[in-house]
Amino acid sequence: MAITQAMCSSFKQELLVGTHNFTNGSGNTFKLALYAIGGGGKSGTTATLGAATTAFTTTGEVANSGSYASGGGALTNVTPTLSGTTALTDFADLSFTTATITARGALIHNSSASNKAVAVLDFGSNKSSSSGTFTIQFPTADASNAIIRIA
Amino acid sequence: MFSVNVGASLGDISVATSDEGGLSSDQLAEMARRKIIYVSQDAPPAVREQAQVFSERVEQVVKHYVDLARGEERATICQILRNAGHKDIAEYVRRL
Repeated sequence: MAITQAMCSSFKQELLVGTHNFTNGSGNTFKLALYAIGGGGKSGTTATLGAATTAFTTTGEVANSGSYASGGGALTNVTPTLSGTTALTDFADLSFTTATITARGALIHNSSASNKAVAVLDFGSNKSSSSGTFTIQFPTADASNAIIRIA
Repeated sequence: MFSVNVGASLGDISVATSDEGGLSSDQLAEMARRKIIYVSQDAPPAVREQAQVFSERVEQVVKHYVDLARGEERATICQILRNAGHKDIAEYVRRL
């Protein structure tokens, strides 16, 4: 039972058949859902997420709190660009406010395409907010750091 | 035989959390700094050191303006409350 950071294998295959569109405005809606381990998910469930994850699941998802609701928060796409020979995309930072949450990781999924999984993010340790803000900051959108890169 | 190697990579995210309210100016300034400046671990030591100092300076400047923005926002809210006849609440907000 663990959360292992990975780009989902199914996502790589789906890229080649044009399932996902990250264009800002006209593209798909991507969401970020938060997950807990050690029975910290809703109804005492634990998340098991990694490269083999194919779609959003409520197992291990944190309970609704503040502005966090099941399925997670909608991400704002940044239209993919090229930096040299590397293609990259980015999202605006996402915040859940007035929320009491303890999460160990997250899943980015495409809510426009049957909630197909994109990537699993491991926070490295439990992150908690108590009646406060829970913010996910994406890395600098360049060829070395962007959240999703294809080189 | 012809083949093309393509690698897909995932970046590292950061998480900032708070209790009993929103993020602090320090947290926001640190987030802004991370977006503005990236210091490569592969950079020559002298360049890395200089970039680190610049990075810290940027964070201080951003924090100053975040503090200022928070104060100005409170002042605006305070005035709106005062204009609406809520002087007690306006005073409470002013003292935050």
